[in-house]
Amino acid sequence: MKLKIFTFILLLIILSSCDHGIAPPAALPTVEPGFSGKVTFVGQWPDSVVQTYVVLFKNPLLDSLDFNIQNLRFVSVPIPKGSREFLFSTKDKNNVLSNVEPGHYAYLAVAQQLKALSFNRKDWFVAAVYYPDGDSTKAGEFTLPENTFLENVNILCDFNHPPVQPPGGKP
Amino acid sequence: MKTIRKIILVLLVLTSLLFAQKANIEGWVKDTHNSPLVGANVILLNTDLGAATNLKGYFKIPSVPLGKYKTKISSIGYEPVTKDIELTSSGIKLSITLREISVEFDPVIVTASKYSQKISDLPVSASIIPSKTFSEKNFTRLDRALRYVSGVYVTTDQISIRGSSGYSRGAGTRVITAIDGIPIYTGDTGEIIWELVPLSDIESVEIIKGASSSVYGSSSMGGAINVITKKNSLSPVTLIKSYIGFYDKPYYSIWDWSGERRSFNGQTIAHSNRIGKLGYSVSLSRLENKSYRLNDWLKRLTGYLKLNYDFGKYGNLTFLSIGMNQVHGTFNFWRDIWHALEPPADDIGETVKAERYLFGLKYTTKINKHFDLHLIGSFYRNLWYDQSESNNNSASNLVRNEIRSVYKSGNGLKIIFGTELTLGKVRSNIFSDRTSQSTGFYGQAEYRFPFPLTATVGVRYDRGSLDTLKNYDALSPRLGFNYKLSKTLVLRTSIAKGFRAPTLAEAFTSTRTSGIRVKPNPNLKTETNYSWEFGVRKTFSNLLLIDAAVFQSEYYDMIEPGIDPKDGEVYFDNITHARIQGFETSAKFEYKPLNISLNVGYTYLWARNVKLNKALKYRPRHLAVASLTYSPSFFEFGADFRYMSRFEEIDHELVDLGLVKNGEIRSHVFVLDLRAGASLYKIGIPLSAYLNLNNALNYNYVEMIGNVSPIRNISLNLEFLF
Repeated sequence: MKLKIFTFILLLIILSSCDHGIAPPAALPTVEPGFSGKVTFVGQWPDSVVQTYVVLFKNPLLDSLDFNIQNLRFVSVPIPKGSREFLFSTKDKNNVLSNVEPGHYAYLAVAQQLKALSFNRKDWFVAAVYYPDGDSTKAGEFTLPENTFLENVNILCDFNHPPVQPPGGKP
Repeated sequence: MKTIRKIILVLLVLTSLLFAQKANIEGWVKDTHNSPLVGANVILLNTDLGAATNLKGYFKIPSVPLGKYKTKISSIGYEPVTKDIELTSSGIKLSITLREISVEFDPVIVTASKYSQKISDLPVSASIIPSKTFSEKNFTRLDRALRYVSGVYVTTDQISIRGSSGYSRGAGTRVITAIDGIPIYTGDTGEIIWELVPLSDIESVEIIKGASSSVYGSSSMGGAINVITKKNSLSPVTLIKSYIGFYDKPYYSIWDWSGERRSFNGQTIAHSNRIGKLGYSVSLSRLENKSYRLNDWLKRLTGYLKLNYDFGKYGNLTFLSIGMNQVHGTFNFWRDIWHALEPPADDIGETVKAERYLFGLKYTTKINKHFDLHLIGSFYRNLWYDQSESNNNSASNLVRNEIRSVYKSGNGLKIIFGTELTLGKVRSNIFSDRTSQSTGFYGQAEYRFPFPLTATVGVRYDRGSLDTLKNYDALSPRLGFNYKLSKTLVLRTSIAKGFRAPTLAEAFTSTRTSGIRVKPNPNLKTETNYSWEFGVRKTFSNLLLIDAAVFQSEYYDMIEPGIDPKDGEVYFDNITHARIQGFETSAKFEYKPLNISLNVGYTYLWARNVKLNKALKYRPRHLAVASLTYSPSFFEFGADFRYMSRFEEIDHELVDLGLVKNGEIRSHVFVLDLRAGASLYKIGIPLSAYLNLNNALNYNYVEMIGNVSPIRNISLNLEFLF
């Protein structure tokens, strides 16, 4: 009797496994998700800048610890110092990091590194943020729809009017 | 002339007398079903004479001096028989019947204390995989078989006993693995090279669950595995093995990158014999696997040689040698979930070549009736290089020497003590040129009280250095008790401290592969654990064995791989405090009249980072295995099932950073293997054939993110033994 019960349980387990485990989503994305745009610089570049990038964070920067590489989804190729315009794209193979999936992102910005090889929040300065549809109430927010490569994600970087800094920056 | 004739006559008479003083001992060895037993050993005790039975169960020991002898007839799985005989000039013909015993219920193992003990006498949990498993199930690597042992799981190639390890990208191990007591962790990465184990030469595999550092030192804090190779045959035996198989098409057509059923095949030829006092076993194996995944193909050639010379009362010398040459494609992670069986485009065409050589020398002698002495030396050389963007390469040498003595008082006391010296040297572009050394001293006493209690107390001291890392010292004590409440009910408990020194790979790796950067951590410290278990074992009339154990391990400074949030680079670091708790139950049922056997096992694990109260990476909460075998006559039908719950924690960082696209996708593991076969040795035909359908449900799962485990495949394995 015990053997029968065990066999029955075993069969149940086996049958329950007939979903074939992990599976690809039904549709293969026809478009590689991503975005591109232009950064326009206004004003004089600060001398103290070491590197400048377009960066995209998944989660809000509520604390200096949120400014970490695991929260990053996109870091462009370095923007040459003194540029007046800079075109960026997630398709660029030379990007430092590009892991963009459809969804909502908390913070798209132009960030400047003040000290080489440091990822401490205090060694970074946010020079500009992206405003979706020019909406100043949604500073930095960015949404990438499914099956879309979004163009014209443009950012104005005015060195004379820097945005509100996320927590943890240099006082 | 007369004198010459006399001399010739005397010589003729003497010669005929000499011949007359010798005769043959021959006979047949059968089991209780009257089937001939192949390979049974017939030994004349206190002599060097003996033979093994052939396919018809027949043996012959020629030209044996007349006299009285004690013969011992033995075969694995059968109760040995000792028989007194008197050999006369007419010779003697014996007919021996050996009775099957339930060896699986209480086999003898040597791994727990480095001397023979019955499993029921141990203070710790243990399991054993018998030799026949490897033929019947056509495993191509040892770790494939270990996945079906209760409480054990393997993450790609990283073994874990009761949650001791997660996945550390081939660096280090917490379960020491050895061949005939010679560890096979490499000198650079400290990983186990499963491919090195000569599967056709395995007698059994012993698995000790729980901290074993008091005997084995570093890298055994999670347990120990010892592969026991077959003894050299007393008479010529040749094995020819060949298998061929193919993978089914992927369940999802979008994953079908090749449009064909990918094949794999392998061949082994092995021979064993004895010439005088020298026994030898030699085998050569090749394997080719086209793989179900793109750029995951494999070609391997393995050679094995075991020599054994019997010096009689002066001891026994064994030489063991294994060489392996392997080349395979690189498959680190899938491209994405839609291309789950293809690596990222940049990885296609990358290969890894490896050459590995293990040489071991063991000398064993009996000093007197109380003391045994064992001298063991080994040299393990590993060479590998890949064709990745970093052109990673490494050449490592590891020399290991051990002196061990076992004292048996005869009144219940056994003492083992020994010393071990290990020297390592590495030349590599990712680890740099490094050296390591360690020395260990250990001792253990086992005392069997007049009442049914056996106490074991042991301690080991290790001191070592790993290149520029700070020297380490470790004291690893163990205390264990085994109490037999009755003949069928045994309680056991043990408490032990274990440790593991970092490997060179964990401390010094600096490389980039598949977009992942790995950086060194020269401040890495030794990890330690305190573990205990309490177990109970109950047998019911040689039909059913039930074993249950609760266990806990506290790890301090546990070494785990992680991502440095500052730069996104992988590195190994000491987690402050981790705890692994759980229980394991297993049952074994054998009903010989119907030739049915059933094994089941379930393990519950709760492995967590105590500080973060978060599950440790790559540790499942539930593990279950089940195996059912029905073997009427010379046929055999079987089913093996294993389940592993979905990992709660993985390397999320690799996913977040886009290094493993869709890497978060994972599931429970359900694997069902089916087999059918026949072993025709029982009817005198030198052939066995097994058909294996693995992953019969074609269930898709990952053991490590971005790596789909083998999809459904079928293989036919033929073995000729003559």
